[in-house]
Amino acid sequence: MPEIKLKLKKQPDFPLEADVISPDNLAGKSTAEIKNLELYVANEKTTIGEFFSVSGKSGDAKELKIIIDGNLSKVKRIGEKMTDGEIIINGNVGMHVGNQMSGGKILVNGNADDWAGAMLKGGELEITGDAGNYVGAAYRGFWKGMGNGVIRVKGKVGHEALTWADGSVVAKRFPTLYCGSAGSFLGMHGHGATIVVEGDVDRCAGADQVKGTIVIKGKVSRLLPSYKKIGEVKEIDLFNGEKITGKFIEYSGDHSVKKNHNVIDKKTNKVKISVNGRLYIAA
Amino acid sequence: MVEKKINTVYDVVCPFCGTLCDDLEVDVNIKENLVVEVRNACQIGTKKFFSSNPSPHRYEKPLIKDNGTFKEVSWDEAIDIAADILAKSKRPLLYGFASTECEAQSKGVELAETLGGILDNTASVCHGPTLLAEQDVGVPTSTLGEYKNRADLIIFWGSNPVHAHPRHLGRYSQFVRGYFRKDGRNDRFIIVVDPRNTHTAQIADLHIQVNPNEDYELMNGIRAMLRGVELDAKMISGIPIEKIKELIKILKECKYGVIFFGMGLTQSLAHHRNIDTAICLTRELNDYTKFLITPMRGHYNITGANTVFTWNTGYGYSIDFSRGYPRYNPGEFSSVDLLMRDEIDASLIVASDPASNFPAASVKNLFKHPLISVEPHHTPTSENADIILPAAFAGIECEGTAYRMDHVPIRLRKVKDAPGECLTDREILEKLILKVKEKLGE
Repeated sequence: MPEIKLKLKKQPDFPLEADVISPDNLAGKSTAEIKNLELYVANEKTTIGEFFSVSGKSGDAKELKIIIDGNLSKVKRIGEKMTDGEIIINGNVGMHVGNQMSGGKILVNGNADDWAGAMLKGGELEITGDAGNYVGAAYRGFWKGMGNGVIRVKGKVGHEALTWADGSVVAKRFPTLYCGSAGSFLGMHGHGATIVVEGDVDRCAGADQVKGTIVIKGKVSRLLPSYKKIGEVKEIDLFNGEKITGKFIEYSGDHSVKKNHNVIDKKTNKVKISVNGRLYIAA
Repeated sequence: MVEKKINTVYDVVCPFCGTLCDDLEVDVNIKENLVVEVRNACQIGTKKFFSSNPSPHRYEKPLIKDNGTFKEVSWDEAIDIAADILAKSKRPLLYGFASTECEAQSKGVELAETLGGILDNTASVCHGPTLLAEQDVGVPTSTLGEYKNRADLIIFWGSNPVHAHPRHLGRYSQFVRGYFRKDGRNDRFIIVVDPRNTHTAQIADLHIQVNPNEDYELMNGIRAMLRGVELDAKMISGIPIEKIKELIKILKECKYGVIFFGMGLTQSLAHHRNIDTAICLTRELNDYTKFLITPMRGHYNITGANTVFTWNTGYGYSIDFSRGYPRYNPGEFSSVDLLMRDEIDASLIVASDPASNFPAASVKNLFKHPLISVEPHHTPTSENADIILPAAFAGIECEGTAYRMDHVPIRLRKVKDAPGECLTDREILEKLILKVKEKLGE
């Protein structure tokens, strides 16, 4: 199995933009060629060889495994738009890791900064430590965020994770986030996200959620007033077919969204609560 | 013939706040080049005109810091050293631009692009969240003249115009008589939503005293209740449900409503999400009546800075040119975040005073690196700068264009000459661009 090892030689003075480090770009290249690939630091161009020691042998992107060692907290955009292969990062990593990737796998053995897995289109991103704000979120001004794929964060995710998620049961696209705990505005403007939180969540979970499922196994610091309690459940079916068992209180919402509270039951003439997104909080 | 001593300039535009009042009368002593009287302006605007007169607080010559003290130098020398700092830096920050005219702002964009630096304006610490929300959900808005003539319901949400925009109430939103609001104040219903009992709240018809930082929940609840959803909660953000129902009745029954919001929304917790939901609320109220929303912009030309940056680069603020093309990401390229992470190596501050407004930790990092200040006054920023380039007051000592808070461009007037060797912001930036290009070999 082809494998390339990169080791950070020195800390950059300014953030290093390493969007070139992905299996797609490194596939089929010799170590010398890889060393000459361009990186950006501040307003200057530099090369991989300048900041990383490179070893191993490259091959087909599909089977290629890139292992990066060192404290990469100032290295941004690793694995941007990757479509295949695998990246293993041993250490903390900077912003935008795995943004817009559509396939393959990234494993971060450490913490990740903001925008990890932003606008993911597929593939898998795993972070063993904490992640910053905007995990799997849409970039500024985009109405369609994470479309598919899975993000797993062992620790805490920051604020506004998975905003504008864009899933579809019909098209079998299930943007999914598993995390330890989460900050405020989790799954804001969600259109079909699946979010499972093991611990506690800050205020405004599922704000403006049109559809989607948010399961919180801990507590919410402040539940939005526009969520309506439906009742207690013992089993939850997620969009991707998984089942979660346990005692949960089921809420429907967000009823502040026009699309949601428009649906009025013709028989009872009351607002239907069975159509929109769901929020489950441990009882 | 008696020599004319005092010249009165009419219809002067006030370069202070986003209201951009355009009916000032300024008396100028021509011989001594002094402002002697300002009529029609608010106290803050009047003070700004008087502060342009020569005083110990005004810079009149370029200064360079030498062993802790400032020494006067020639313009050529100051520009040469400043251009040298900028040309050598790898990640310069160009910040400010809110209190100068559009032509100078445009030159700022050119300089940032030439340097491959970072360009930011003061929206980054005031109404930047408004821009983020507008990008996410759009904005139904109008000009202030429409509000003056039509609005019968005015909501001030998290803003205190009595203190921040003193003449806004008299000119556009409260006391003024409009074409369809012939009885002025009596034809308008004023609601203030604020955790504090502000002076604006004291002259309002209804004061909603929301809990601090809980505006999002309140608007969220209103949006749901607007369509008849019965909520589980009995109290939202410290306001009883019954009172919110009354409020919703008022909102639905007005003929023409407008929400003016300020930093109480943009800079409390939830930031741009407050505006996001406020815009959605405004949009949804249009199913029942006419409703619009306008931010109460602070600096007189911050709207212009956003507009000029947008037509030049595509983005309103927090722009990074380091890869040769503009990229935008507040949080990554916004000044405070950059300074907190100490990711710059030089800065050019134009017409702004970040040292008084930024968090202390970021100001510390700002002072660590070479700092060039284009500034007419002594400010905490300029006092800690390495180079001070004295500027003329835009709108008092030079002409230019400024955008009012509702995106109406207004031509600023010149009432007197700048004292000493002061140049306009545009001239200073033009000189810098030429010198920087020369040093970069372009």
